[in-house]
Amino acid sequence: MKTMTRILACKVMVAAITFTSAAIAETVLIKNARVVSDQGIADQTTDILIEGEKISRVGTGLTASSARVIDAKGKPVSAGLFNADGQIGVRELGSVPATVDASADSEHFTASLRVADAFNPSSVVVPYNRSLGLTHSLIQPDNGKSIFAGIASVVSLGETDNVVVADAAMVVSLGERGSALAGGSRAAAMATLRAAIEDTRDYIENKSSYNAGNRRSYSLSRHDLSALVPVVKRQLPLLVRVERAVDIERVLEFAKNERLSLILSGVSEGWRVADKIAAAKVPVIFDPIYNLPTSYESLGTRLDNAKLLHEAGVTIMFTGMGWQNTHNAYLVRQSAGNAVASGLPYGAAIAAISSNPAKIFGLPSYGEIKRGKTATIVVWSGDPLEVTSNPRHVFISGKEYDLESRSSRLRDRYYQLLKAE
Amino acid sequence: MLRKPFLAIAVSSLLTACATTSPVDSAVKNDINAPVIDHTPFQSTYQIPSSSPTIIRNATILTGSGTQLESAAVSFADGKITAIGSEGDMPEGAVVIDAQGMWVTPGIIDVHSHMGVYPNPSISSHADGNEIVGPATAKVWAEHSVWPQDPNFEKALAGGVTTVQILPGSANLFGGRGVVLKNVPSITMMGMKFPDAPHSLKIACGENPKRVYGEKGGPYTRMGNMAGYRDAWIKAQAYDVEWTAYEKKAASGDKKAKAPSKNPEMETLRGVLNGDIRIHNHCYRADEMANMIELSKEFGYEIAAFHHAVEAYKIAPLLAENNICGVVWADWWGFKQEAFDLVRENAALLDMVGACAVIHSDDEIQIQRLTQEVAKVMSAANDMGLNLDRARTISWVTFNAAKSLGLEDKIGSLEVGKNADVVLWSGDPFSVYSKADKVWIDGALRFDRKQPHLRPTSDFNLGIVRPEGDRP
Repeated sequence: MKTMTRILACKVMVAAITFTSAAIAETVLIKNARVVSDQGIADQTTDILIEGEKISRVGTGLTASSARVIDAKGKPVSAGLFNADGQIGVRELGSVPATVDASADSEHFTASLRVADAFNPSSVVVPYNRSLGLTHSLIQPDNGKSIFAGIASVVSLGETDNVVVADAAMVVSLGERGSALAGGSRAAAMATLRAAIEDTRDYIENKSSYNAGNRRSYSLSRHDLSALVPVVKRQLPLLVRVERAVDIERVLEFAKNERLSLILSGVSEGWRVADKIAAAKVPVIFDPIYNLPTSYESLGTRLDNAKLLHEAGVTIMFTGMGWQNTHNAYLVRQSAGNAVASGLPYGAAIAAISSNPAKIFGLPSYGEIKRGKTATIVVWSGDPLEVTSNPRHVFISGKEYDLESRSSRLRDRYYQLLKAE
Repeated sequence: MLRKPFLAIAVSSLLTACATTSPVDSAVKNDINAPVIDHTPFQSTYQIPSSSPTIIRNATILTGSGTQLESAAVSFADGKITAIGSEGDMPEGAVVIDAQGMWVTPGIIDVHSHMGVYPNPSISSHADGNEIVGPATAKVWAEHSVWPQDPNFEKALAGGVTTVQILPGSANLFGGRGVVLKNVPSITMMGMKFPDAPHSLKIACGENPKRVYGEKGGPYTRMGNMAGYRDAWIKAQAYDVEWTAYEKKAASGDKKAKAPSKNPEMETLRGVLNGDIRIHNHCYRADEMANMIELSKEFGYEIAAFHHAVEAYKIAPLLAENNICGVVWADWWGFKQEAFDLVRENAALLDMVGACAVIHSDDEIQIQRLTQEVAKVMSAANDMGLNLDRARTISWVTFNAAKSLGLEDKIGSLEVGKNADVVLWSGDPFSVYSKADKVWIDGALRFDRKQPHLRPTSDFNLGIVRPEGDRP
């Protein structure tokens, strides 16, 4: 009886979860898949059984009488792809301010700005990118008036439960951008950061006297200090945008001294200090397609940055492609493919757009095709890193989504019209 | 990471550099008192280096003219293609390349680039692409802003790009003249200038001019944009009448004929009305393109191409009918309202109805991989239901691009007698894993991935990039 009750209770719970996060809990058997992982594309085909939200079995010759069967016909099947720097849901139309919530021109609310408070799950950018194989993105805010941009979130591109990690990282810009925001010097940007961390520690220890008006003034508002509390407690990583090698070294040193958890973003010259980044066990986010000195802090930009960082042992995560990393966030796979063309091992490129961000941002059940993992997967027409490949089936948490978007509907309308002419 | 809040304003204009057939010249010759006008200033000083005859054999060749040849050869000598398909006669001293497993295409052409006018590093000292002092600046020439040391040129070359049209930006209704360059290292702009290529005039529709000038005297609206174009063309017609009358008189020996005063703004517009300067029109929306076609008919000029034509697919038959190229990105969208209606199959839908489809970059990264941009559209279109292949779609960055520039008799396809602009790819050029290994321009090897002395590097890089490191 007891066991029975527990099973029933579990079933009710599963049903409830399923109901809220995926409208249809299906059993789907994907036959003849070539699994894409950090080991590359498997030579042998295998079957993948999806039950509810999860991958329940991976193996050869699987059967399930109630399952809907999809024959992958030997094509690659990967985890849904992840872009580690974009603004889906907070930047609908770049030149229409009412649709852009990526930054705020406020001096009093900087570190406390949360992407999770602004994200629009009904953005047309969501289904478009989902239909093209992207299922997750780290949404990074832009700087307004401070070196602190706010708190980045990890979002999933399904129809429900989009914000999967609301507080993923505190975003700070150093380098040229930080310098400009802090008054025109890198030293000012570092001083601003240092003051904020010091003030946060002081605030934690003297909260009640501060709130009673009996403490010295701080460099940030009360809300911004509160937002930095989890950073100094190592509960929230500090994500620092930085390009130049020496700027990277300085921030590594700072984070070490302050005992902060650090992620670097940008890192055009990361290859020059790859060993130091690796030794500090700091993961990095960048677009491996850049190879031009677009600024005086990125003079050393080169196309094999990804290869060199990976060889040094750095955990890499990708964004891309180029500045279209929001509306065409799915093209992170084109950036990844070009990184492979420049010497990065194939499996490392796949990890950089799936399992690595899963590990870094605390999504242990996403990012790999393995038994027990969430069924967030894409069946491809070919190698997912090739631009000639497209998704055939996209699942997020066990739910298969159609491949429709505003763009595909426009296409269908005009294709029919033009064919009829 | 780079963030572009919205597209760096880019205007395209085609310039006819050499309006040598103008009646003005004969007038000048006939009348020693007439003002001396040089119609061909800033002439090209480009020289074709001496090179060995070359045969590439056993390659998969995309000719650019619609054909894919297997295990085929292409030969060139003295700057021109001498044989395609079979090898032809082996000339004395020919360099023979066995291209087993490799692919050959014509040199890639980007008809919308701001290399040199918005060079790297991207700093305000280098921002020379938009003359934002007034909405009509047909008088400025992009070539006068080109910095030949932009490190982007060498990276485009490494991506197989042999010819580029450099355009002014799109802040202005009339952005100025564009210029066609050969992508070769040079200290001067003239050393890159494509000999006898027509100039272009860049016109911009839509959001950019009204955004830039809305609070600065206008245009404030799209109807204001149109009024601005019409004002200018009405003046240009009057100018043309005045000068044509003078030229007739002078040609007939009337020594009392007085030359009207020269106006550089009007010179450019008159060049368009005379057919010497080609219109490259930045225009996103279908309805605005249709309006611009009406405008061209009102004033009797032709439009060579609409650029950034995100909605070209909606009026594809109209473009075909008017022989206007639709110059588009594979997939950019969303950076502004007029770029909202993207379809990834845009270029393919143009091609489907017989319009001239061209893929452009307008971008420092994409210019290095234009074949990948074509590949994206091809695969999306084939999913939609078309049956496009590499042989056909490569023309979107070769032959059709040349056509939009008025250079299809010289470049854009591998045909006997045409310029030997040739790219040897390590593999399928539509794959992300392939790279351009060798690039010839006019038969001269200008880039070789394996030979450091044939991997040009800008003066800017010296002391920044170590010789042993290069900048991959």
